[in-house]
Amino acid sequence: MEALKAVAEFNGADLVRRCRSGDGGAWEEIVSQFSRRIFNLAYRFTSSVEAAEDLTQEVFIRIYKTLDQYDAKQGDLTNWLMRLARNLIIDDYRHRQRNPQNSMADDVEDHTFHLRAVGGSAQKEIERRELCAQVQDGIDKLPADLRTCVILRDIEELSYQEIVETLRIPEGTVKSRINRGRIELAKILRRMRVVNI
Amino acid sequence: MSYEDEKILKCSEFEGLLTDYLDKSLESRTHKAVAAHALRCPICHTLLNEVKDALQLCHEISAPKASMTHLEARILSMTAPETAMSCKQFEEYLTDYLDGFLPATLFHRWERHAVLCEKCTDLPGEVVRSIAACYTYKMEELAIPAGLHSKILQATIGTTKAKTVKASWASQAAEWMRGLSFPISVPQLAPVAMMLLFAFLVFSQTVSADGSFNGVYQKSFELAEQTYKQSADAVFGSAPTNEQKSNQEPIQGTFVNEEENK
Repeated sequence: MEALKAVAEFNGADLVRRCRSGDGGAWEEIVSQFSRRIFNLAYRFTSSVEAAEDLTQEVFIRIYKTLDQYDAKQGDLTNWLMRLARNLIIDDYRHRQRNPQNSMADDVEDHTFHLRAVGGSAQKEIERRELCAQVQDGIDKLPADLRTCVILRDIEELSYQEIVETLRIPEGTVKSRINRGRIELAKILRRMRVVNI
Repeated sequence: MSYEDEKILKCSEFEGLLTDYLDKSLESRTHKAVAAHALRCPICHTLLNEVKDALQLCHEISAPKASMTHLEARILSMTAPETAMSCKQFEEYLTDYLDGFLPATLFHRWERHAVLCEKCTDLPGEVVRSIAACYTYKMEELAIPAGLHSKILQATIGTTKAKTVKASWASQAAEWMRGLSFPISVPQLAPVAMMLLFAFLVFSQTVSADGSFNGVYQKSFELAEQTYKQSADAVFGSAPTNEQKSNQEPIQGTFVNEEENK
C-alpha cells in the first residue's frame, strides 16, 4: 500500500521540470528515489562497495547534466534514467575488462544485504544473505559477456529486446549468451554446493 | 423403513456380497443390509477395510505416474538412434525448453536426453534453482553507503542542503518558455504562442528589477504629473522648467498656445 502510494506520488515529468528550473529539492528527490537501485546495479557489476559508490556518483553527475534531454513523451523518467544508468555502468564494466588492473572486487561476504521485502525469521534472513553473497561470487566468476547478459536478464529482468538495445548486439547472440550464462552459473553454484539437490 | 423391515445377514452371506457392495451394484435394501452388518460385526468390518486397502494398492500400482519413463526413453533411443541429442545440443536448447519455445520434435528428443544422460539429468533443475537464487539476490539490496547522497548533491548542485536551493525567477520563466514549445507543435496554436511571447516581453519590460509592480505605478504617476503641468503651463502661460525641458519633449498643444500668446 505504501509502495503504491509512493508510486502515485512520484511524478517524474514534474520533478524534471522543477529540476530544470533550478529547484534543489526536486533534484534531491530524484537522488533519493533512484540512488539505491543504481548503487545496487553498479555493485553487481563491480563487486566493490567503494567502486559502486564512485560509479553511482558519476552516474548521477551525468544524469544531472543531461536532464535537459529528457522528454516525457518518450517514456517515463524511471525508464529513461535507468537506461542511462545501465549504459554508463556497462560502459564502465567493459572499460575495466579491457584494463584489468582497475578491477576492485571486494570480499562479498563482508557486505550486509538488506531485505526489500520484510518477513521471515532471523535464521532465514541469514541464509538469504549467505545465498546472495554466493550468487554474487558465482556471477563474478562468469566471463564478462555472459555476466552482463545474466545480470540484465535474471536480476534486472530486462526483456530480450531491451538487452539487444542496451548491448547493441544481435538477438541471437543475446539468447545464446543468456543460455550459456545460466548454465555456467548453475555449474559454478553446483561446485559451490549452492544448488545441489 | 421400520426396524422389522431390515434384512439381517450372516457373516457367510456378507462375504459373498462384499465385492458387489464395493462395486455399488447391489439393490438398495441389500446394500443397506451389508453396510449394517459391517457396523455390527467387528470381524467383517476389518475384512471390509482390508479388501478396500488392497484394491486401492492394486489401482496405484497399475497406473505409472511418470510421463516419460526410463524404459520408454531407452526403447526409443535404441529403435531410433538417429533422433538422439548430444549433450552440447541439450545445453543449447535448455533456455528454450524452460521458456516453452522448443518445437514438439525437439521437445521429445530433449526430454529423452534429460532422462537417459546421467551427466545432464540434474542440469535443468540446477539452472532453475540458479535463476531462483538470482531472483532472491535481486530482492535483497545493499543499503547505500552513508554520505553518498551528500556527495552526489555536492557534486551536482554544490551544496548538501538541496532544499535551500530555490529556483530563480529567470530560470522559472525560462522553464515556462520551454513549456510553450508544446502547443506550438499544433500549427493552429502558433499565433497564440507568439502573442503570449509578445505579451511576456512587454510585461517583462514594464516590471521593475525586483519583479514587483511598484515601478509601473510610479512611472504612470510621473507621466500623469508631467502631462498635468504642461497643460497648466499652456493655460496659465508660465514657462516650463529646465528640468522639464531636458526630460520631456513639448507636446503639440504647447506650440499652438505659444503662437496664440504672441
